[in-house]
Amino acid sequence: MVSSLIPDPLQMWRRAIATLEGSGNSLANDAMSSGEFAAALHQVANLSLGMQQTFEKVLGVYLKKLNLPSRKEIAELAAAVQRVEAKLDQLATSEARVPARPRPPRTRRPAEQVDAAVARPASAKRARQSSGGSRGKRTAKQV
Amino acid sequence: MATSTAAAPADPSLPDRLRSEVDRAIQRHLKGLAFLGSPAPPVGLTPRTLLHRRGTLGLYHYHPTASEVYRVPILFVMATTNRAYIFDLAPGQSLVEFLLARGHDVYVMDWEAPSDAERALTLEDYTLDFIPDCVRRVQTDSGVDDVTVIGYCMGGILATIYAALHPGGPLKNLVCFTTPIDFSQMALWRTWGDERHFDVDRLVESVGNIQPDFIVGAFDLLRPAGLVAGKVRLWDNLWNDEYVKSYRMMDRWTAETLPLPGAYFRQVVKELLRRNALCEGSLRVGGKPVDLKRIKVPLLHVIAAHDHIVPPACAAPLVARAGSRDKEEVVLPGGHVSLVAGPNAIKRMWPKLDQWLERRST
Repeated sequence: MVSSLIPDPLQMWRRAIATLEGSGNSLANDAMSSGEFAAALHQVANLSLGMQQTFEKVLGVYLKKLNLPSRKEIAELAAAVQRVEAKLDQLATSEARVPARPRPPRTRRPAEQVDAAVARPASAKRARQSSGGSRGKRTAKQV
Repeated sequence: MATSTAAAPADPSLPDRLRSEVDRAIQRHLKGLAFLGSPAPPVGLTPRTLLHRRGTLGLYHYHPTASEVYRVPILFVMATTNRAYIFDLAPGQSLVEFLLARGHDVYVMDWEAPSDAERALTLEDYTLDFIPDCVRRVQTDSGVDDVTVIGYCMGGILATIYAALHPGGPLKNLVCFTTPIDFSQMALWRTWGDERHFDVDRLVESVGNIQPDFIVGAFDLLRPAGLVAGKVRLWDNLWNDEYVKSYRMMDRWTAETLPLPGAYFRQVVKELLRRNALCEGSLRVGGKPVDLKRIKVPLLHVIAAHDHIVPPACAAPLVARAGSRDKEEVVLPGGHVSLVAGPNAIKRMWPKLDQWLERRST
């Protein structure tokens, strides 16, 4: 086959991406497993959090002066409205559920148990037949 | 036994390969534009009824599709950081749809973003209030006393704690998917969560609920190169509608990560991550010790062999320490999410789960 002798550059590229991903993750994990990295990470996170809180505080004062709600307050209001809507949906559904939707019976058995139950009367019948004078006809399988 | 006689796919010739790549390049450009302009595919389409809502908690009942169902209903407990539609991504890719078709009666505890007033929710609220409340509601709705509980990831921890604290029932079976128990095996997170560097009290007091950016950032840091490689693979597969659809559903699921109640996050960091209290047996919830040996019900733990979030060594102690006589640990190929919702899940995990459940659900 001629084609198998010619390497597929796109396949090679795909394999390279997978290899690079594995090596990149492994290198990064090694670098991030040090206490120094953790300390630096949290310093940056604390700095960012501090700046964010200061900004939100200032913005909150402005919004209060302008008599406008903050994003957080709107989100809380939206969540409250959603909860009321969900309750209404629930009430509407329970109203509509009268009479209740019929539910399937809880009688399902695993397939192997059903097979065994089907096989049992058949084997019992065979046993009855064999005890009723047909012993000479028993096969090795029935035994 | 059937034997496969299918031959390996023939090696395409060079002109065929070139033709295929040119075709894919054209499709990439055309579908790339559509990708940018189209909304994310819909998720969670299996019909369900909301039975109960209380703040962040929602309890749903999925409409049975089989003409006859198993006696024991199933209650899924989702991790509080994520939406439960990971169990019901799309028709044909839905664990819920599969279980319904196999004759199971399915209930799901799903979560909404906790409000600011819910920042004080703790492990006690989830394991001594929300789960028992939902179990009672499932009992009432189904008319059956026994309930099987299935927990995924941190939902598995909640289900495990619930099981250990309620050895008298009404739990019939416990199933956990990739549930972390031994946090000493989470080396990176242990380092980042070290109290010498990370003041969890200060963070919780400052922000109240922990925002999703923080949580997603911590997950992404475990595999930083994966972010770039994922985008490159998406570009490479833009011609493939199925790949793009799957990618977008998973991307949407990640983007819809929920905030965590601050007090719950503080407990997880201090008790589970730092003290490794669940594994060491020193965890107390609501003043009661959480002893895994007190779990006596049949237990199945499904672990992902390539899970970078909950490595198999981190999950393994659950089956090893549980007091159940009927217990099984199954390690399947796959990652943390593909274990429950990928093509591998459809082929391997779902049939295994059904096979395990059917014998214990009558």
